[in-house]
Amino acid sequence: MTMKRVDSITAEVVSRHLLSIAEEMAATLIRTSFSPNIKERADCSTAVFDAKGRVIAQAQRVPIHLGSMIGAVHAVTARFPVEEITPGDMFVANDPYSGGGSHLPDINIIAPVFWRGHIVAYVANIAHHADVGGMVPGSEAAVCRSIFQEGLRIPPVRIMRGGEINRDVFDIILLNSRTADERNGDLRAQFASNVTGIRAMEGLFARYGDDTEPAIEAYVDFTRRRFAAAIGRIKPGVYLMEDFLDGDAPGETARIALKLTIEGERMALDFAGSAPQLSWARNIPHQALIATVYTVAKSLLDPDVPANAGYFDTITISAPQGTVVQPVAPAPVGCRSISAGVLGDVIALALSQAMPERAIAGSGPHHLAVFAGPDPRNDGYFVNYETIAGGMGARPNRDGIDAVRVHASGASNLPVEALEHAYPLRIERYAIRDGSGGPGERRGGAGVIREYRALAEGITVSLSAERQSVPAPGLAGGAHGGLGVFVLDPGTPRERILGAAEADVALPPHSVLSIRTPGGGGYGPPAHRPSTLMDKDIREDRVSPSPAAGAVLDTEDAA
Amino acid sequence: MQHKAWLGIDTGGTFTDLVLVDVESGAQWLHKTPTTPEDASRGILGGMEEILRLAELDPSELALVCHGTTLATNAVLERKWVRTGMITTDGFRDVIELARQRRPSFFNLDLEKPAPPSSRDLRIEVAERIAPDGAVVTPLDEATVRTAVTQLKARGAQAISICFLHAYANQTHERRAAEIVREIWPDAFVCTSSDILAEFREYERFATSTVNASLLPVIDRYLERFERGVAALGISAPPTIMQSNGGAVSPAAVRRAPINTFFSGPAGGVIGAVGLGAAVDVKDIITFDMGGTSTDVALIRNGVPAKHNVREMGGFPVRTRTLDIHTIGAGGGSIAWVDPGGLLKVGPQSAGAMPGPAAYGKGGERPTVTDANMVLGRLNQKALLQGRMEVFPELGRKAIETHLCERLGMDLVRAASGIIEIVNVNMMGAVRVISVERGEDPRDFALMPFGGAGPLHAADVAVMMGMPRVFVPQRPGLLSAMGLLHADARGDFSLTRLVLAHPSSIGVLNAGLGELERRGAAWLEQEAAGAPALFEWQGDLRYFGQNFELPAILPTGRLDDETLASVVARFHAAHAAAYGYAMPDRPVEIVNLRLAVTVQRPIPPLNAHVPRGALRDAVIDERDVWFFGAGFAPTPVYDRDRVPAETRFQGPAIVEQMDTTTVVPPGATVDVDSAGNLMIEIPTASEGLMQ
Repeated sequence: MTMKRVDSITAEVVSRHLLSIAEEMAATLIRTSFSPNIKERADCSTAVFDAKGRVIAQAQRVPIHLGSMIGAVHAVTARFPVEEITPGDMFVANDPYSGGGSHLPDINIIAPVFWRGHIVAYVANIAHHADVGGMVPGSEAAVCRSIFQEGLRIPPVRIMRGGEINRDVFDIILLNSRTADERNGDLRAQFASNVTGIRAMEGLFARYGDDTEPAIEAYVDFTRRRFAAAIGRIKPGVYLMEDFLDGDAPGETARIALKLTIEGERMALDFAGSAPQLSWARNIPHQALIATVYTVAKSLLDPDVPANAGYFDTITISAPQGTVVQPVAPAPVGCRSISAGVLGDVIALALSQAMPERAIAGSGPHHLAVFAGPDPRNDGYFVNYETIAGGMGARPNRDGIDAVRVHASGASNLPVEALEHAYPLRIERYAIRDGSGGPGERRGGAGVIREYRALAEGITVSLSAERQSVPAPGLAGGAHGGLGVFVLDPGTPRERILGAAEADVALPPHSVLSIRTPGGGGYGPPAHRPSTLMDKDIREDRVSPSPAAGAVLDTEDAA
Repeated sequence: MQHKAWLGIDTGGTFTDLVLVDVESGAQWLHKTPTTPEDASRGILGGMEEILRLAELDPSELALVCHGTTLATNAVLERKWVRTGMITTDGFRDVIELARQRRPSFFNLDLEKPAPPSSRDLRIEVAERIAPDGAVVTPLDEATVRTAVTQLKARGAQAISICFLHAYANQTHERRAAEIVREIWPDAFVCTSSDILAEFREYERFATSTVNASLLPVIDRYLERFERGVAALGISAPPTIMQSNGGAVSPAAVRRAPINTFFSGPAGGVIGAVGLGAAVDVKDIITFDMGGTSTDVALIRNGVPAKHNVREMGGFPVRTRTLDIHTIGAGGGSIAWVDPGGLLKVGPQSAGAMPGPAAYGKGGERPTVTDANMVLGRLNQKALLQGRMEVFPELGRKAIETHLCERLGMDLVRAASGIIEIVNVNMMGAVRVISVERGEDPRDFALMPFGGAGPLHAADVAVMMGMPRVFVPQRPGLLSAMGLLHADARGDFSLTRLVLAHPSSIGVLNAGLGELERRGAAWLEQEAAGAPALFEWQGDLRYFGQNFELPAILPTGRLDDETLASVVARFHAAHAAAYGYAMPDRPVEIVNLRLAVTVQRPIPPLNAHVPRGALRDAVIDERDVWFFGAGFAPTPVYDRDRVPAETRFQGPAIVEQMDTTTVVPPGATVDVDSAGNLMIEIPTASEGLMQ
């Protein structure tokens, strides 16, 4: 098919419409959804695809969804011939191995857009559901040993036909969740979001007619050229990097190896040499791998490049099957976002060699805690899923940011006052973890301390973490970041260091769990730290003064 | 002396607009004076003196002086706040830095978290703890508070914010700490988080309170000079200040809560639109205030502007009742450029007032929206401001050719029209945010443009949105200042009471409502003692387990089983209306209680001086003007000051006036009403993009 050609103005105008449409879909999803995870933390994304299934516009709320959306349409079209798809159909999928998902709680809903009797586009959205069954509440724990323990696996199947909900599928999903009411509300919100998108896309085609598809094509093409130009500006070459995840047993590690090739206006990432997949749920499935690559590349090379297939096309990614970065079924993957933090560092540190002036040291990924138990205040049962941020790596011109989610992760915290109202827990301390940022001319971002006191009988907690034995690397002479640690009843005779992956640890009434997250690596020799910054560090009580290095790591639990 | 005139003063970044209205004759005077950033009161007082002279009015004849100020806004954006101390709960001094643990941008790693007005060495923890239900877990350690005050003073703090966990549920610790601060430091600038924002979510409350504290000395100094100057001019009317909620209050109220003035400027425009709409019976409006560097849009339904409870200011969430105004960084001065991929982009960089658009001949070399409008004949190619400002269209043409045409491989007209098309689609995006994304259909609304560039682009934006009508006020440049004269006195109060909406909670709820009533009454006593006031009650409700609330009107400030049941029923209905489903079997939770106290003010008359006579006498020129879908067409140019009332004409047309230029596309019909406002009917509405 030969297409009309449109100029760059029409392409820009149509692209603005596409972004508006994706944003409106997101607004509808957030407005009409039920659960805090989607409503308050906005753990969801929406996107518009062309007829070939390529992402052409995305409203991002969480970067890790950047890749999770990419395979969504292809997963559907691989199972359903296009001629069998009719207006009013919608498809659901969450399986990382067959449904284009990245972990089971992220449910994709995909719908075709028809114009003059043909599919001209697709719209889709993804939302993180608080529970999709499995062995632990929240469906996400490092201790899962198989994806079958992580919850309900949904391949691409029709959940709506001719505008009517397919109860056969819908009811299976509800029955498999510990919180069916919420799933009901959230899934309906996802349908509503797609309906908004379909109507707006029909309006776009009605307005621009035969120019629409060429305009979309041109927009993707302009995006490709833009990112290719950005790659062309960095130093060509082959760059090697490696880092390590915590392994299957204490003391073991799992390698992530990367060979990055920058050549002409393309980049290729080859993860050959990475460790075999883990038996715990820290494997990084394909969609999470590509999301992390796309996020880090965009952050370092061109933060404003539109998130569409144009720039994805400039990047080639290969990883051997059966490794931590390309696991095969039934490897568990629930906690992939923590390990994706370490993966992000590998990619960022490789790219940093090609663009030293915009380099970034390793970062401290977030830690995950899921509290559960009876709530005596209302005779109910509660599940509280929380992510606690680490710190960002330092860069040549600035300290790493303290207490933030890094790379492809991005959800916000739960306010202390909201938490204490909702659950029988009291936060005793919530603070920046001094000394956890790696010293350097520019200091790594510090992690966080958050301490929970149990106020009721029968509370348990499941914990997942990375960088509790392998610290975030420093750069150019900067020191590495502090390690994370989970401590039970700190400062008492009962004090106990917990593992980086634990299930159902009992928290008897009045016991305290201290979560201390890892910091980012420093940049440049600590001795070169400007005295104004050092004075500020000391005045603000962030490091202890030391004559030798200017400032040193608080070694309490970091060594 | 008889009090018969009202004065509105709207201070913007570059200019201060003043409008004076004689409420008996309806006569209006307008004056524009440069804003004096180093001491804004100087320029304002000078301007006041000048406009009074212009109108030949004695200062004692003023009955109302209302001021819209961007002082607090600029202080935050330029970090001209004072070093602020925080006294906070043991274990939580970093809350204001931890924020919500998100990085400022997912992708732009150069953006850092904003540094709070209270640096860490000025944040001191004290032992105290209150439970979510208000029970005292740990009593306040008063001795540590005393030490903290002394330390903060010694370390150079100039204001203090007291921020304790769960203080919204029980204020005693915060109030006691404030007392201690005043005992030790009698003239301290101090505020407590529960007085400024008695709502849960500690980061938002602490940030709001601390930003407020950091502005207390700044606003106090400014108002001191302003009030003294007003009195020195011989004006006896006490001045009022516009707030973000669209109401005007006394300087005393602003001294307590300067954060309530953050969006005072754009609020004036919206309230002006409400006032004008009421006068001409246009109640459903989307405002479109397009200036040189930014554009503000807001939605007014049935005469009531949409409101919001949180807005970002300088990187901080400021929880204060504010009109729901959406701002984008695009305006007449926005620069057009080609991105590395070859796409034409407009903004967010702006040529500003200096050097300004290339065609202004003040040294600007890069092409702007204004240059494109001039190349296409939409703006006068000889002079602007009714001949007072010479322009140089050939410089605009050169800027577009040099920077765009070659790189894009297109001719001048296509590049210029592309700039207009792209800026319009950005505007469309802004309008969609406050309408479609909030569940409103823009086709039900009239678009009301104002600001220097609004009427240039409004008709095209309306066509794109499928909006049938554009309503251009008689003096678009004056609407914001006019809005100051329309503002009621308004105070908003809120209080978190997280309880189930169940008869067993009525005691707690009524105690909370009683607390709000006390606050409202105290405010009323100070703002308008004895005046008839409207008390409006509202609750924020949600299903138990949700984290997002919907507002529901409370019929009274005192609930019983029956009224509570009716409120819950209303919530279920509101949920079904907003989200398409309700869950009548699920328990409902009340989160916040709200009270708005309003004292209505009389409305100023419409401008009485509209020309009569023949329409043809208003035609001052004819030139070729470029329109979407039509290209260049010979187009009559009207002088707005000579366009007679109650006439009708057809597009294409250009209407020029001192403060703006209105573009009327071919096929549109313009009705001029008795006050000289233009109502443009857009014929192509049905072809709009909206569904």
